[in-house]
Amino acid sequence: MTSPSTTTTVAEKPKPHVRIRGKDIPVVLPNRRDPRLRLSAIIFTLQFLGQSVLGFKLSIAQILVTILVCGLAEGVMTYRSAHMLVWPASGILTGNSISFILRASGTKHGDWWSLRGIQFFVLAAVVSLLAKHLIRPWRGKHLFNPSNIGIVATLLIIGPARVFPQYLWWGRYGSGPVLAAMAVILFGGYWVLKPVRMHAMVTAFLATFAVVVGIYALAGRNFVAIWHQGPISGMSYWVDIVCSPELLIFVFFMISDPQTAPKSPRGRLMFGVGTALVAAALLLPQSTEFGIKLSLLSSLTFTCALVPFIEGAVARRQARAAGTTPATMPARRRLTAAVLTPTVVAAAIIALAAPIDTSTLIGNKGVVNIERGLTGSRNPQ
Amino acid sequence: MTDTLIRPPVPSEPPPPPSPWRPGPVLAVIGVLVAALLGGNFLGWRDRFIGAPTAAPVAVASGRQATDGGATATSAAPSGATAKSVLRSNPWWQGVTTLQGTGSTTTAPVAIDPSALQFRATWTCQTGHLTVASNSRPRPFVDSSCPSNNVGYGVDKGSVTLKVTADGPWTIKIDQQIDVPLYEPPLPAMTSPGASVVAKGDFYRVDQVGQGTVTIYRLPSGTYALRLDDFFVTPNSDLEIRLSPLDAPKSTDQFANGPQSALVKSLDVTAGALNFDIPPEVNVRQYHSVVLWCEVQHSAYAAASLS
Repeated sequence: MTSPSTTTTVAEKPKPHVRIRGKDIPVVLPNRRDPRLRLSAIIFTLQFLGQSVLGFKLSIAQILVTILVCGLAEGVMTYRSAHMLVWPASGILTGNSISFILRASGTKHGDWWSLRGIQFFVLAAVVSLLAKHLIRPWRGKHLFNPSNIGIVATLLIIGPARVFPQYLWWGRYGSGPVLAAMAVILFGGYWVLKPVRMHAMVTAFLATFAVVVGIYALAGRNFVAIWHQGPISGMSYWVDIVCSPELLIFVFFMISDPQTAPKSPRGRLMFGVGTALVAAALLLPQSTEFGIKLSLLSSLTFTCALVPFIEGAVARRQARAAGTTPATMPARRRLTAAVLTPTVVAAAIIALAAPIDTSTLIGNKGVVNIERGLTGSRNPQ
Repeated sequence: MTDTLIRPPVPSEPPPPPSPWRPGPVLAVIGVLVAALLGGNFLGWRDRFIGAPTAAPVAVASGRQATDGGATATSAAPSGATAKSVLRSNPWWQGVTTLQGTGSTTTAPVAIDPSALQFRATWTCQTGHLTVASNSRPRPFVDSSCPSNNVGYGVDKGSVTLKVTADGPWTIKIDQQIDVPLYEPPLPAMTSPGASVVAKGDFYRVDQVGQGTVTIYRLPSGTYALRLDDFFVTPNSDLEIRLSPLDAPKSTDQFANGPQSALVKSLDVTAGALNFDIPPEVNVRQYHSVVLWCEVQHSAYAAASLS
């Protein structure tokens, strides 16, 4: 006797959902393979080091509120557009990045539950999420790196009287906590960048930037920083900028955002080199750490807006190489169509205002006084 | 006859796409533009509406006694026609005037600097009762039986008239509390023949910010005096100038656990150019550095090596 043949139907694994007011709403939970989780893990580790041994002038309350605002806003906006409850991995990452870089003047290390300047963190979070969801002038995707535009806007609009970016250096060269942080950053850089294939772009940025800043150092450029006695020049100028943990964070974890960087390998190389050149051009006349940090951050705001042009140039080049003509409108018609769109106009204003506004910091004696520590308790960076 | 015209139906054209320039997007673009202008501090908007990085420039003080009712520039002040500074000192008391009288009276106007934080009246009286009130506030800030002496405080600024009610003789010394830098000219003895510079150094940070130069003079009288130029230290009210035998103290611990230091003077003003007499019992040649010390915080704010 043979066993009766049976046909088995493999039951589909039910997709998670919740029922609200009689309506089934799909739920998308975090995915273990999501590279954003890796990045969040790295930033959380650095936040832990910052709170414990690196002396970050940042409170746990500031971190949590910023993440909460970004996460909630992201969740609500995604629900409104896709009618799904999606784990706000991007929002959490944006909030974490904002709180990692932005500082409210007067916040003391160890004052863990301080809400000092919390409105500035919320402003940065709101700007980030609005820019992400409203400014989508190209292929329906966001143009600017969300945390980057939120931080740049807050630093420029609120100004050096009330906010500042995290210091370039987080302690003495070679000290245990700084070495630990550098190890986390370098490991994180490898771990996070590998799946998104951004190593070439990062290398292009670092190589270009290191060479140009090296030329500046040889030419005698210097800057003042609140944590240093006197101007920083010579080899220290190069080391303090190019090897700083803040620059590595910017390169490994901000410009390498796959959503806002070009998709093609050639475009990514152009993007890396271009961002490095814009950053170097902006920081050349800056004489304060505040100006240098803003130059770095603003360079990305500017070059993110160039990504459609970079991708277009790469596509045309590939088409020429293949002997075909890309199906595009004539340039004049494309331009006319673009300027008629409010999102394009807004994107253009933002892309131009970031570097221009950063340039207004050149020679700002108020910022110099802050960096030299001459403002006493008025603006205690 | 009807002239009704039956028109053939016109083929309907697709309606033109709605303009993207609706009120919402237009407002959003205007908002972005305003934010861009604010971010560049266009027309000083950011400084005005959100806050300037430093305090507004104000005229520095020329001495510990006010002249013309307030701060004036001197040759010791920073160069520039206006001799203004954005730096701020720890609040310090500057003398304004001393009033004397017998019985009740209304004084001549006393000029309190508009930027003063407050004023104080150090008073003495001999008999009966003394009350003192300002013209703008009827409640007296001095109200005491005599004989006695004490200090009363007021917050009026500008031209202040005092209404004194007294039964006998009284004296009132008025000081104003200001936070502008003080630029004292060098003591006459520092520039007179026979004076010499015996040591000089630049301030560096220890626990707080310190900058400027310190110069020690041997005066023709054989005593010593210390002068601070282009000076700034993180403001605090309990700072002392101390001479240390250490060559270059780098930390609070090194200074606090090092050899005995000598007190020169309490430091009430923390920005500007200042003179201090060194007590005669201090042997200047035993010391190799100057330390700005806060006993309350047990912290070395800044130091300067003498050479």
